[in-house]
Amino acid sequence: MNAYITATGAHLPGPPINNDEIENVLGLVDGKPSRLKKRILKANGIKTRHYALNGGHETTDSVPGMGAKAARQALSASHVDTHDIRMLSCATTQGDFVAPGFASLMQAELGIPRVEIHTTHGICSSSLMAVKAAANTIRLGEQPNALVVASELASRLFKHTRYEAAGGGKVIDFNAEFLRWMLSDGAGALLVESTPSTRSARIDWIRSFSHADAYPLCMSIGGTRDNDDARTWQDFPTYAEAEAAGALLIRQDVKLLDDVVKMGIDGALRLIDEGAFNPATLDHMLCHYSSHHFRSKIFEMLDVAGASIAEHKWYTNLYERGNTGCASIFIMLDEFLRTHDLEPGETILCMVPESGRFNTAYMHLTMVENP
Amino acid sequence: MSANPEALERTVIGEHAQAALRSLMQVWFDFERELAQVPILRKLLDGRFAKEDYRTLLLNLRQQVIEGSRWISRSASSFDRDFSDVRSEVIGHARDEHRDYEMLEKDFVAAGGDLDAIRGRERNLGSEALHGYLMYRASRPNPVELLGAMWIIEGLGEKMANDWAGRIDEQTGLDGATRFLKYHGENDDDHLSKLYQLLDRVCVDEATVAQIVKCAQVVARLYRLQLEEVTRG
Repeated sequence: MNAYITATGAHLPGPPINNDEIENVLGLVDGKPSRLKKRILKANGIKTRHYALNGGHETTDSVPGMGAKAARQALSASHVDTHDIRMLSCATTQGDFVAPGFASLMQAELGIPRVEIHTTHGICSSSLMAVKAAANTIRLGEQPNALVVASELASRLFKHTRYEAAGGGKVIDFNAEFLRWMLSDGAGALLVESTPSTRSARIDWIRSFSHADAYPLCMSIGGTRDNDDARTWQDFPTYAEAEAAGALLIRQDVKLLDDVVKMGIDGALRLIDEGAFNPATLDHMLCHYSSHHFRSKIFEMLDVAGASIAEHKWYTNLYERGNTGCASIFIMLDEFLRTHDLEPGETILCMVPESGRFNTAYMHLTMVENP
Repeated sequence: MSANPEALERTVIGEHAQAALRSLMQVWFDFERELAQVPILRKLLDGRFAKEDYRTLLLNLRQQVIEGSRWISRSASSFDRDFSDVRSEVIGHARDEHRDYEMLEKDFVAAGGDLDAIRGRERNLGSEALHGYLMYRASRPNPVELLGAMWIIEGLGEKMANDWAGRIDEQTGLDGATRFLKYHGENDDDHLSKLYQLLDRVCVDEATVAQIVKCAQVVARLYRLQLEEVTRG
């Protein structure tokens, strides 16, 4: 039995926000413009993004709220009604509630009766894990369809008040500020079914390789800025003390990012060795990553080694839609499928390197047409 | 896996050399993954590396650096007339590096170490095994598999310069004590293109590729042992 992506949807809240407008929304830390902003934005290449926050730093939507808009868009392009959904598989880095799982809240928002739910926990790659659970359930014949939703509302972490509560500009370092200029909000949804519709993407395989056993944390929320302090946010007497110690800030150890890229390539080389895909015959590459990392020597080396994917095969909308964590790959796939007239047989590789603690997920699709 | 507009001048190498390069990249990624778990290097990744750790590291690296120039010189003499072009390359390489350890000693002193202590230091168990293996291989006729060893050693040079050195400067607060580590990042592009040429020259069949890859794996394993031994006893 096969599983097919038969419809996709995406939702980006509010208007596109350009680089000069970011601090109007997120605010000025200690009332001063950031000194690192320009440098980080230049490196990640993002030009516009969306926030579910207004200029008064008030939240304008919710994680399931955005997810539902993306899901309804996907369903509107299909023959499946909301009440016909049999499995709901959901991903977010940080939902509105600490508990219960995001899929419960998503089900309530969409109003789907008696649905089987599944929530994956992680960062950027959690959405592909959610697709894998959906695809495998369908392949096993346990359900005829599944709605997969990924939604992120990271901007709440980037309000100036968060940084001020953790000590302000004096103590906020590059690693703590990096993601403020990188992440934004949005949601994406995929409808997966056991039979293809008019034009669908067959899910050939989804694989991932994690290296948390070998590498330290690279992107995280919960630990303090002090490397010798093993406490995480819930170990403090009060959440206020955890916040003051910086344990609720989202951090990126930027020095480790090259290693994340290397492990992503390592996984791809393994999949090539296994014959899971052939870089020469692959038609399209959708990668959740900023392009500046692809200018490194390793990519030249892959070129020499005959393992490169030609430049014209790469597609991304990261620079216009922003980096929306686990929702990014769905938002990318949605726009790619809407704007490209793909022929049956064309292949797509989606690749999501998650810096969190070094997990990279891959999904291979082949376009099919229902006869 | 590339969207690199700068890679227009394509280096063209044969099918066997390409296969070797792909495997060597994987050996390298495995090696780096393992290095991240070696105690002395984990300290560096976690931001807990002290001056004393740096001195301990240098104490253990010096003997390998000295022996390094020896196995390269030895291997040069093992290439016969059919490999005279390879021999020329190897001789050049040996000449470039055979006094590197002097720079390392100066760094050790700049980091507060005692020159006699580093000069009198015994090879650690890993250095002993690595040296033994490399000298054995270098003494055999036409040891082309040592390209695998060069791959790992060159990769380490690049990693020391572009990863270790900056972290060590930052975490130890030392100034001007990482010249040896940084020096190895120079002329990287040149070294890489030479390596591609050499791979293309010697990778004539699958058996040669397998030998080169195995040699890289052994050297990676023994180099890791050398670094593990740094903090053992």
